[in-house]
Amino acid sequence: MKIEGEYTFTGPREKVWEIIRDPEILATALPGTKKLELVGENEYEGEMQVRIGPVAGVFGGKLIVSNEVAPESLTLTVEGVGKVGFLKGSGDIVLRDQDGNSTLMKYSGEVQIGGKVASVGQRLFDAVSKSMIRQGLGKLNEALRV
Amino acid sequence: MSDLFNVNVTVNGTLYEREVEPRILLSDFLRHDLGLTGTHVGCEHGVCGACTVLFDGNPVRSCLMFAVQTNGHEVTTVEGLGDIDDLHPIQQAFWEAHALQCGFCTPGFLTTLVPFLEENPDPSEEEIRNAISGNLCRCTGYQHIVEAVQLAAEKMRA
Amino acid sequence: MTYKFIGKRIKRNEDPRLLTGQALFVDDVDIPGMLHVAFVRSDYAHARILNIETEAARQHPGVVAVYTAEDMGDEWAPGPPLVSPPPTLAGVIFNSRRQSPLAKGKVYHAGEAIVAIVAESRYIAEDAADEVRVDYEPLPVVVDLEKAMGPDSPRVHDDLDTNLAAHMFQKKGDYEVARAQADLIIKKKFFLDRGAAVAMENRGVVAHWDEKSQQMTIWDTTQAPIPIRNGTAARLGLSQKQVRVIAPFLGGGFGPKAMMFYPEEMLIPWLSMKLCRPIKWIEDRRENFYATTSERQQVHEVEIALTNDGRVLGLKDDFLHDTGAFDPYGLTIPLNTQCHVTGPYDIQNIASNCTAVFTNKPIVTPVRGAGRPQGVFIIERMMDFAARELGMEPLELRVKNLIPPEAFPYDKEIIDQAFAKLILDSGNYLPVVEKAREMIGYDQFIKEEQPRLRAEGKFVGIGITPFIETTGVGPYEGVRIQIEPSGKVNVATGIGTQGQGHFTSFAQIVSEQLGVAVSDVSLVSGDTAEFHWGTGTFASRGAVVAGSATLAAATSVRTKVLKLASKVLETPEEELELEDGVVRVADLPHRSISLGELAALANPLRGAVEPGTEPGLEATDYFGPAYGATSFGVHAMIIEVDPETMMIEFKRYITVEDCGTVLNPLILEGQIHGGVSMGIGNSYYEKMHWDENGQLLNASLADYLIVTAHEMPNRIEVGHLETRSPFNKLGTKGVGEAGAIPVTACFTQALENALEEYHLEILESPLSPNRLYELLRNLTMSTYGREARK
Repeated sequence: MKIEGEYTFTGPREKVWEIIRDPEILATALPGTKKLELVGENEYEGEMQVRIGPVAGVFGGKLIVSNEVAPESLTLTVEGVGKVGFLKGSGDIVLRDQDGNSTLMKYSGEVQIGGKVASVGQRLFDAVSKSMIRQGLGKLNEALRV
Repeated sequence: MSDLFNVNVTVNGTLYEREVEPRILLSDFLRHDLGLTGTHVGCEHGVCGACTVLFDGNPVRSCLMFAVQTNGHEVTTVEGLGDIDDLHPIQQAFWEAHALQCGFCTPGFLTTLVPFLEENPDPSEEEIRNAISGNLCRCTGYQHIVEAVQLAAEKMRA
Repeated sequence: MTYKFIGKRIKRNEDPRLLTGQALFVDDVDIPGMLHVAFVRSDYAHARILNIETEAARQHPGVVAVYTAEDMGDEWAPGPPLVSPPPTLAGVIFNSRRQSPLAKGKVYHAGEAIVAIVAESRYIAEDAADEVRVDYEPLPVVVDLEKAMGPDSPRVHDDLDTNLAAHMFQKKGDYEVARAQADLIIKKKFFLDRGAAVAMENRGVVAHWDEKSQQMTIWDTTQAPIPIRNGTAARLGLSQKQVRVIAPFLGGGFGPKAMMFYPEEMLIPWLSMKLCRPIKWIEDRRENFYATTSERQQVHEVEIALTNDGRVLGLKDDFLHDTGAFDPYGLTIPLNTQCHVTGPYDIQNIASNCTAVFTNKPIVTPVRGAGRPQGVFIIERMMDFAARELGMEPLELRVKNLIPPEAFPYDKEIIDQAFAKLILDSGNYLPVVEKAREMIGYDQFIKEEQPRLRAEGKFVGIGITPFIETTGVGPYEGVRIQIEPSGKVNVATGIGTQGQGHFTSFAQIVSEQLGVAVSDVSLVSGDTAEFHWGTGTFASRGAVVAGSATLAAATSVRTKVLKLASKVLETPEEELELEDGVVRVADLPHRSISLGELAALANPLRGAVEPGTEPGLEATDYFGPAYGATSFGVHAMIIEVDPETMMIEFKRYITVEDCGTVLNPLILEGQIHGGVSMGIGNSYYEKMHWDENGQLLNASLADYLIVTAHEMPNRIEVGHLETRSPFNKLGTKGVGEAGAIPVTACFTQALENALEEYHLEILESPLSPNRLYELLRNLTMSTYGREARK
């Protein structure tokens, strides 16, 4: 499944970059994230509580940052496994300066899901993932102001 | 294991007192704790309607309710509608109109239809189809079921 | 022939129990000390299993045992092949691959069982299943049929060079000659997709090994209890006498319950023996979508050769058939497709090339129709396209090519699922077509109604589809009938029953011979302790094969009754009649003896039974047809399409069947209605959606839509004509699948007709409102929709 979109942060690009590279802030921003720890260079491990329609469960997994060009772009690769199935995906994030001290984030990627979460939750996955991304980016934007 | 809760529930006129885990579904409670296996489970998520029972006279999906929720209430299952020798008019009509084949979904149709016919003694075909639209049947194509409801309504009005 | 019981609308013997919740289904079986099983199933469609971590599950309170393939040791082995490829067909390639009870090393489709958890309750077993961790190495997945046969495709089975499961070529005449003579050649490519059977009852197995009596009792949602008994005995090293398989009331079958040896059917009895406890496993709905078989995906490239005056000279069909990850059921489905792809038409030159393909999807075995709907869809689509090209009226083209009555028995020269050349036993097709035409008012609709409604801006269309259904194949079934001293009659047969009304229709056959009330005949079906010879209920064979055996056994018992009564009443047999449960002298009705008294006399407590006679009024007989009996029918419908929502309304729905002698019209109508409802689902609502990773995206009844009372026509009008089958004494032909077979073909025809002005060409099935919208939008934005109507 394709995930694509853009978001405008009210802050300068360097600041946005700082925030998305800070696991603690990232953990508070990603809805349902129970923990997110740096375990190696650009590699995080964490747990995330996800509910998609009738399917709810904890996914444990890895988040890997690669192709990093600070403070401009990076690639995120996610792999999560839980009792309700698995998800994996990767996406590119690009930041661009905008007028008036704001930053435009463009993201695009592919996500694959399997198991219960796919067979029962697929219908809602698109909507849920969009809302999670919206919520997460909103939180990050709030973090900018702190 | 989680704590047990007391359930005092009247099923088909008999009071049952049982201790159950709070997560036990009403459908499982009826079938396995009380041995009332006439209530069937087809999808476990409230779509097919096979597990429909009457909860204080209203049809509910017993796979979507917990047994503990029935504490102090009345439940009627298909076993409570009529006996082999003394069928409820709707059961009799299902028999005469050949409104069942494998019979697995039938208890859910019957429990859905009993209150429906009480409230709608002379339903139109459209009303009947609406009433059963939440019950799935894979065998009959519904036509004989609709005819059975018409027949039952006639019998019950007489 | 006039009958007293056969052919009557008699209400069913089995219904009072079903209506009051007193009928036993597999999940109703409760045995003290019973344990419950839940499975850990694969999240991946294709992956290596690197590690299975079960320790936490084993430690879970209430868990009794946890089994992986490794834990099964030497007793882990795939199931037996169920149906071999046709031995009579030259050059057939068949790569037999069967599923094992638990996946070992690799998973081949999503939902394959990997770990079995045995616990004190199902709740606990599922809790513990959540604690199992399986590490996978995902492998590339084979989903698409055509890509699966490409040179670069990943392979489902590592030990095969390709994904070829089977290849077979069948022919009649010489298609190339027909092609050379033809005025018109039409070539099309069709895509047919999968649907699920969705019996309302999921599968289930309860096994009880009794160590003291050394007996295994199995309650199984199977359409074929006897093969399950025989196979289980062989697998477990028991004698057949030690295994009793009971198929009690089943909540629908529709084919997949006759798959014979699902992993769970192999595993649950084995676990019961291992643990010396009764064990129950009941499939849940989501498991049902993965672990139970499904059907219908094929890709056809078809060519039809015709003369200008509408004579079909030949048909060539080259098709891919999805068999899923394994092929235990052999080639039954594609053989049926090959037999039905020329329909009821006299086509002398046929070339049919079938390639069965392995994919990383659940196993394919027959679902009501079993390859026939695909064949009917193909030929009927080609007939529609041909009629359009030739400027002929579609029904006229069909009628022109029907097999004429004098051509029966008609040899299709194509090997069928019984591994014999398909011989159409009997038929008179034209009157059936004419009756359907008249019932639906075909000519009037075309000439008057449709133009009038179209002028009003309505999109109404008509479809009329003749079809054959091969039914009643061998090898055989048997029945034992016994009159009890109470006067009641016991009947036992080996086939299972899933709602077809065998308790009643077979009783009617018995009543006809013995003159007892239908309600006094009690049937046991599907209990190997009662009867242990036979194969099962599938291929619309119950009424034909077991029904004929019932007739034979009832006739034998009647002979015994008459012989004994003749002696007791001191009257020649010819002067006796069986009526109302007694044998009486025809002219002197007061001189009579009840069947019960005769039964008691036939089993004396003193004295000797005469040499050469048997005690009791009992007989066992068998019936094994050399050929099946082929039914014929026509479905016709008038539909209206809402151009805004793409929703369909059925204005009329007609079926006319010729299935020979009708045993019970009430039951026949029920079979047809139900078949049509499945066919409508297959046409427009039901489709299994797989993503490119082999994940099924609609594995629940909330997402996989079977028809409700709203999607059905208000009235299916059933007409009947009768050409008795010469192959069995009842003269009957099967009808169990007939309702479902032509629906997609007829629906597609009606839909195209309703949308005639768009020149829509439908080359796929199933459709859906969304898909129809897409097809129309793709055609041309400018001519579609409201604008076009203005």
